[in-house]
Amino acid sequence: MDALQVVTEPHRREILRAVWDRELSAGDIAARFPVTFGAVSQHLAVLRTAGFVTVRRDGTRRFYRADRERLGPLAQALEAMWRATLDELAAAVEAESDRR
Amino acid sequence: MSRSPLVPQGPPDRGDDAPALAVERRVAAPPSTVYAYLTDSVRWARWQGASAEIDAVPGGRFRMRMGNGMLAEGRFVELVPDTRVVFTWGWNGHPTVPPGSSIVEIDLASEGDGTVIRLVHHGLPPDDIPIHETGWRHYLPRLATIAEGGDPGVDPGPG
Repeated sequence: MDALQVVTEPHRREILRAVWDRELSAGDIAARFPVTFGAVSQHLAVLRTAGFVTVRRDGTRRFYRADRERLGPLAQALEAMWRATLDELAAAVEAESDRR
Repeated sequence: MSRSPLVPQGPPDRGDDAPALAVERRVAAPPSTVYAYLTDSVRWARWQGASAEIDAVPGGRFRMRMGNGMLAEGRFVELVPDTRVVFTWGWNGHPTVPPGSSIVEIDLASEGDGTVIRLVHHGLPPDDIPIHETGWRHYLPRLATIAEGGDPGVDPGPG
């Protein structure tokens, strides 16, 4: 799987976003996504294998965080995408309040 | 009576000191009722997944499809009526937990008028243990609910 395939899957992007500037435990990540543990487990394994998340091991617990350096130019692309989505949302909310 | 080996076949042997995931749950139902939910396709899907294909004989196929399409696959290894179910486990397309790469042992112990279910999942890579533990902690209560005559509802997935 190439780098682009890793990040084009929507759930993996959402996991990356959730651990973009803080670490979350595997359980926290599972609790945040309405997909099954098999899917979360698979997405985390793909992200780990690609090196796009770092894992901090504390006993049996696992804490994940995005490795933006390893993502390289993809990191900026993802941030730009999330910003654009937020801008669109803000614009939509503004348009809605103007309409009232 | 000779005790069967812990890992008779299937998954890679990661050694006895490899960490295992263990989850226990008490159920107010006899072992025979719980066993029925572990050995029948339609009954299995009442507590885990959207559908299941259970061929509960040694070497028989285990397939369970989650609502989002994820497919868990393995084979039955050992079945002792009302007492013990062992099968291999993995996920189709999963880079580190492929089908049959780990092993799930479920022991049913009669206690009073109920059952203690003990599930041990061996052979998972250490990084994959926490998330599978989250999964089984979500599913054993659902198994308990259905075995006790309740309705756990459609599986929403853990969390």
